[in-house]
Amino acid sequence: MALINLRHIIKTYGIGDLEVQALRDVSLTIDAGEYCAIVGASGSGKSTAMNLIGCLDRPTQGHYRLDGIPVNSLGADALADIRNHKIGFVFQQFYLLPQLTAVENVMLPMVYANVPPAQRRSRAVKALQKVGLGNRLDNRPNQLSGGQQQRVAIARAIVNRPKLLLADEPTGALDSQTSRSILDIFASLNHDGMTLVMVTHDQAVAQQCDRIITFHDGQVLSDRSTA
Amino acid sequence: MAYNLFENATMAIKTLGANKLRSSLTMLGIIIGNASVIAMVAAGQAAQDFVTRQFESLGTNVLFVTPGDAQRGPTAGVSRADTLTLADAEAIAAEVLAVREVAPEKNQRLRVTRGNAETQANVIGTVPEYMTVRQVTLAQGRFLSPVDVQSHLQVAVLGSETAQTLFGDQNPIDRRIRVDNVRFTVVGVVASRGSSFGQNQDEAVYIPIRVMANQITGQEVGKISPTVQTIAVSARNTVSATAAQYQITNLLRLRHGLLNKEDDFTVQSQQDLLATAASITDILVLTLGFTAGISLLVGGIGIMNIMLVSVTERTQEIGLRKAIGAKGSDISVQFTIESIILAVIGGLIGTCVGIVSIVVLTLTTPLSAGVSVSAIAISFTVSGSTGLIFGLLPARRAAQLDPIVALRS
Repeated sequence: MALINLRHIIKTYGIGDLEVQALRDVSLTIDAGEYCAIVGASGSGKSTAMNLIGCLDRPTQGHYRLDGIPVNSLGADALADIRNHKIGFVFQQFYLLPQLTAVENVMLPMVYANVPPAQRRSRAVKALQKVGLGNRLDNRPNQLSGGQQQRVAIARAIVNRPKLLLADEPTGALDSQTSRSILDIFASLNHDGMTLVMVTHDQAVAQQCDRIITFHDGQVLSDRSTA
Repeated sequence: MAYNLFENATMAIKTLGANKLRSSLTMLGIIIGNASVIAMVAAGQAAQDFVTRQFESLGTNVLFVTPGDAQRGPTAGVSRADTLTLADAEAIAAEVLAVREVAPEKNQRLRVTRGNAETQANVIGTVPEYMTVRQVTLAQGRFLSPVDVQSHLQVAVLGSETAQTLFGDQNPIDRRIRVDNVRFTVVGVVASRGSSFGQNQDEAVYIPIRVMANQITGQEVGKISPTVQTIAVSARNTVSATAAQYQITNLLRLRHGLLNKEDDFTVQSQQDLLATAASITDILVLTLGFTAGISLLVGGIGIMNIMLVSVTERTQEIGLRKAIGAKGSDISVQFTIESIILAVIGGLIGTCVGIVSIVVLTLTTPLSAGVSVSAIAISFTVSGSTGLIFGLLPARRAAQLDPIVALRS
C-alpha cells in the first residue's frame, strides 16, 4: 500500500518577479516499509521534495496523499498534527534543545501529542534504549558526542511511533564510523517495519538503501532498486 | 493550546534558567519599575499623612486669620501683606460672640544672645491666650501673663531648643537674655513642640506683643496699630467655628472699609487648610505614581526587546518544535509565558526592594510610610500584564515563523 503518493507535483518559488520552479511535475510512490534514498546535486529539488513529503510545505500544484490523507487541503494546525503523529524527522545538525537533557528532548514530541505525562518518560527511555543510549538519559546535548546526539534525535523522531522517518543528511556531520552506526540503527528500524526516506548526497550512504531516487533539475531523473 | 500551562511554565523556567545573566538583566527593568511604584506610592501617602497630622496638630475649632487673600496672594503663614493689625485682633475678641480666645502673633527671625552664647530664633510677640489657643505646654516656669502684656514688661518665654542652646543644663528662669540687643528676663520654657511645616517650633522666644512692636520692630509707617502676621482664634465649639468664620469676615470687612472690594485678609479653619493641603498632596501622590509607572513601562519595553532578540536567536528551536508537531499557538503560548514569568519574578523581587526602601524611608525621615497592600497588588498586576502585553509581539513573531526557513537558518 502506498504510504507516500505524489501526483504531478509542481512547486514554484517566487523571488521578486522571477519565478523559480523547484519541482516540475514530479510523481512518486513510496510504499509502507520501504527504505529509500533521495539523491541529487544541490538545487536539484531533493530538499523541496523532502519538505513536501514531510508536510513542512505545500505544493503549488498537484496532489499529495500521505497514508491515504490528502494533505494539500489541510490547514497549518492539521499539518502540525500530521507531522507530530505520522512523521519523525532527523536532521543533519540534530537540533536538540541545549537546556534539556537527552530524555527531556525525546519527550518533547509527546508533549505536543498530548501523551499523558506519566507515560512520557518511560516511552522516552524505551526509545533511547532502542538507539543504544539507555545509559545517557540525563546528559545534556553538550555532554554527548555528535553520534550520541544524532541517536537522541532518532529516539525523538521515533518516540511517537510514526509511520515515516524522514532523514535529511543524517550522517552529514558525522565521521564514517559513527555514520555506519547510525545507518545500522536505520536498517534495524526499517527491519521492524518503519518506512524510511533519507535525503543524502553521499552515494555510499545511498547504497545502503533498497531504492535510490535521483533528482535532477526539479524532476525525477532515475528511480532504481539497489538489490 | 495543545499542552497545559504548568508544563509550559516549567519549560519556560528551564529556558530562562539556561540564560541566567540575560534573564536577570531583563528582569532588572521590571524590578526597578515595581520597586519604584511601591516606594513612590508609599512615600506619597506618607507625605500626605504627615501633612494631615501637621494640620491636625493645630487643634480643632481653631481659625487662622492672615493678611492678604489666600485664594490669589501668598499662602497663610508666609504672607508679607500688612493689612492685619493688633487692633483687628482686639476687635475680634471684643465683638465676635462665637469666639472664645484670640491670639495675635507678630513674629520675626532675630538674633538672641546670652553673654557669649548666641543663636537665631523665631521671636513671637503674642498674648497669654496663645498658650491655650495654640496648645502650648510648659516645661518650666510660666507663660506670658496679662500683667506682662499690660505693663509692657520685658519678659520672655523660651522654646526648648533655644533654652538648651543659651543655657545648657543651667536653670534659665530669672536669667537675662538679649533679643536684638533688648534685654529680657526669662520667665518660662516651653516643652518641645516639634516642627511644623518645615519650621522648628522649638527655636523660639515668646515675648509680649506690645513690647515686640515698641522695642523691636518699631513704629510702622502709616500704621496706628502694629501689624500682625497671624491671628489665631479659638471658637467655642465646632458649630460656632463656622459662625465665627463668617462673623470675623464681616467684622474685618467693615473695619477695613471693603464695601465693594475683595477681602484683604483670609479666615481659614483647620478643615480649609486640610482640604488645601490634600489637594496638593493628591497631586504629589499622582505625580510620583505616574513617574513610577513610566519606569514600569520602560521595564516592559526591556522585556519586549530581549524577547524579540530571543525569538531571533532561537529560530532553529522554533523550527524544530514546529517540525515535531508544535502548532503556532503552542509556540506563542510558550514565549508569552516566558515573558510573564520574567515579569512576575521581576515583580516579586521589585516588591521586596520596594518594601525595603519603605523601611529605610521610615527609619531615616520623619515620614512614617506604610506598605500599602493595594500598591503591591496593583504593581504586581501591572507587571504581570506588562509581561503579557509586551510578550505578545515577540510571541506572535515566533508563532508565524515558517518552519523550513527557521530550520535552514
